[in-house]
Amino acid sequence: MSKYKKFALPLIILLAILVVVFTGKAFSTKTAAAKDNRTEVVFWHEMGGPAEKSLMKVVDGFNKSQTKYRVVPKYQGSYDAAIQKILQTHGTSTSPAVFQAFDISAAQMMHSKFTTPVQKFIDADNFDVSKISPVARSFYSDKGKQQAMPFNTSQTVLYYNASLLEKYGITPPPVSPTYSDITRVAKEIYEKSNHQVKGMTVQIYGWLLEQAMANAGVSLTNNNDGHTGIPTKATINNKAAKEFFEWIRENQKNGDFISYGSGAMAGTNQTTSFLNGKLGIYMQSSASMSQLNKKNKNKLGITYFPHPDGQKANGVAIGGAALWISNDKPKDVQQGAFEFIKYSLKPEVQAQWQKDTGYLALNKDSQQTKILKDLYKKHPEARVPSQQLQEAVPNNFNSGILMEGMQKTRQIEQFAMESIYNGGDIVKALKDADKKIDENLTTTNRANGYH
Amino acid sequence: MLKTSTTNVVPEKKVEAKNKTKFRLTANDKYYASIFAGPSLFLLGLFTFYPMFRTLYISMFLTNTFGNTTLFVGLENYVKLVTSPDFVSSMWVTLVYVVGVTFFTIAMGLLLANLASQKLPGIAIFRTLYSVTMGVSVSVAAIFWLFIFNPSAGFFTLLTKLLHLPTVNWLSNPTMAMWAIIITTVWMHLGFVFLVFLGAIESVPTTLYEAADVEGVSKHYQFFHITLPMISPTLFFISTITIIGSFKSFGLIDLITKGGPTNATNMLVYRIYNDAFFGGNYAKSSAEAIILTIIIAFFTYLQFKFLEKKVNY
Repeated sequence: MSKYKKFALPLIILLAILVVVFTGKAFSTKTAAAKDNRTEVVFWHEMGGPAEKSLMKVVDGFNKSQTKYRVVPKYQGSYDAAIQKILQTHGTSTSPAVFQAFDISAAQMMHSKFTTPVQKFIDADNFDVSKISPVARSFYSDKGKQQAMPFNTSQTVLYYNASLLEKYGITPPPVSPTYSDITRVAKEIYEKSNHQVKGMTVQIYGWLLEQAMANAGVSLTNNNDGHTGIPTKATINNKAAKEFFEWIRENQKNGDFISYGSGAMAGTNQTTSFLNGKLGIYMQSSASMSQLNKKNKNKLGITYFPHPDGQKANGVAIGGAALWISNDKPKDVQQGAFEFIKYSLKPEVQAQWQKDTGYLALNKDSQQTKILKDLYKKHPEARVPSQQLQEAVPNNFNSGILMEGMQKTRQIEQFAMESIYNGGDIVKALKDADKKIDENLTTTNRANGYH
Repeated sequence: MLKTSTTNVVPEKKVEAKNKTKFRLTANDKYYASIFAGPSLFLLGLFTFYPMFRTLYISMFLTNTFGNTTLFVGLENYVKLVTSPDFVSSMWVTLVYVVGVTFFTIAMGLLLANLASQKLPGIAIFRTLYSVTMGVSVSVAAIFWLFIFNPSAGFFTLLTKLLHLPTVNWLSNPTMAMWAIIITTVWMHLGFVFLVFLGAIESVPTTLYEAADVEGVSKHYQFFHITLPMISPTLFFISTITIIGSFKSFGLIDLITKGGPTNATNMLVYRIYNDAFFGGNYAKSSAEAIILTIIIAFFTYLQFKFLEKKVNY
């Protein structure tokens, strides 16, 4: 028996594996080959459902508008999951050239140094950003330098069932209501409907708590919500948060408050109840508006996010997501990414985007387009979120929280909200939340070497 | 090629003395063994053992924003976890869930299998009905049960309204949320468990029951003293896989409660996922994964040590 024979079997297996790998590779390169000489700009996004369709309109519009670049959109699932994908693939061939990352990941993205600040392209191109909403811009800028460009931008607003208010003869809340204005309306809805309709809810969603603080001009962490340095301590146990929860508790006592919990269906159940006329008032992103208008049999009322009594509203921070440019791609690809960003900010594009999705048009000139004028004629209340956005003067409190680990912080906030809704002591819940966020902050700052 | 190895004779002799039929591997055997076992060992090593040791390694560091290990902290992650009330409550919650799911799955499975093992006309319909959840995927089950638990339009809510009972907030009340998850999981597992039990009960020799009938023994006594002992290997198998399976339960929690309310359904596996892919804290979640591994290994050991003795093979 030849001594080489025993190598035959492993060799055959190895060869077979190599053949499969190489033919597989050949096939995949064949399908991925470009059809023309355009530079491909891979774009990762997290818009699902109807919003994805509207986003495809933007992408198609861009691809048709010029011949140099082609944006290739790729859906990445939820905002939360996408962050880890973006961070883990950076520097590999699968990473995107331009990606959509949501509001609370801003600090993470800035610190990662994985992106080219948009400011660089703005300066090189002399691109005029003054038309773009300043509150939205300031959210994604670091010490005056634009890091990313806001794209889908929403505001928390308060929705109410206007038909219901008319039916029971209740005076609608003012456009910028205080907590007690809302308490009055919620109580009247509950009483006048013979306890058949619940007055209001506040979803167990950290974003709403953060907005309550922003609107009261109070920060969630030290170092001005991270705008003047890395946050090291949480300050949720503050006057604004307490007032917010006392307001909720007062409505719980009145019986007009209902909680839909925090499960996977909480948001859907809340919307369904509102549409069915079982719930009078709730707070949610302005991005829900197009959905509400499509399915609502009742007249929709919208006001600004409510603020504490005896003070002026500071304005809420924006929600949504921004477009970031990865720095691991060649110069021309990055330029292509910026061209796409510029296109996405055009007045008509933004106007159509607002009409389709409910996200707010960021370009001031969008308000003058026929698209939005027609929309406001049909739904006058659709103007309210845009007004709230335009009225807010950016400051450290309403420009988002530049803190890493915001996803975890949201969960801690939600835990606090749940325990308060279930009757727990307000101050204790807030103190607990502070403690938990502090622990996370300490670990994060130690691990990243921020001192 | 057929030559026996002459090295290590001394220790092998001892073995041979104990066990005459013990095989000794020749070089040729080793060669073939490595060809046949090699690929799967390689794959196991790459996809199972490497991640396992990597997890252990990461759990002793702090990880930064990108999930890279930066600072060696030894057992600090473990100490923090074990002393954190949040994590301890998660362990309790998991335990309650595992015990609840295992108990109800086995009890219901046995009950249904015993009912369906009767020789009656049309029994095939019931056998099909009882095992039908085997074909239901987690996502479908979650959506289906979410409709049932819906607080304003759900089946349970409508039922309680019809009977003028107070409405139960299935998913916003911590205790009820746990029940909701247990009910859903049991429902999911039931089809498979029922089928396995049915097969086991069918294979019990009928002569035993005939003899018992002749003696005039009650059906109840027959079940506990004939059926149960005879199907004990199956019972052991099912209890082991149900316990391990429910420790690892993830899909239903993610789709129904997302660990809430107030962490009432935040089981260990969900917490691991959450800390890694939402919190970005890979070190913490690695430490949690190691703890979960130890717990599952411990339970499996207990089962083999104590339960297996009671099994009739």
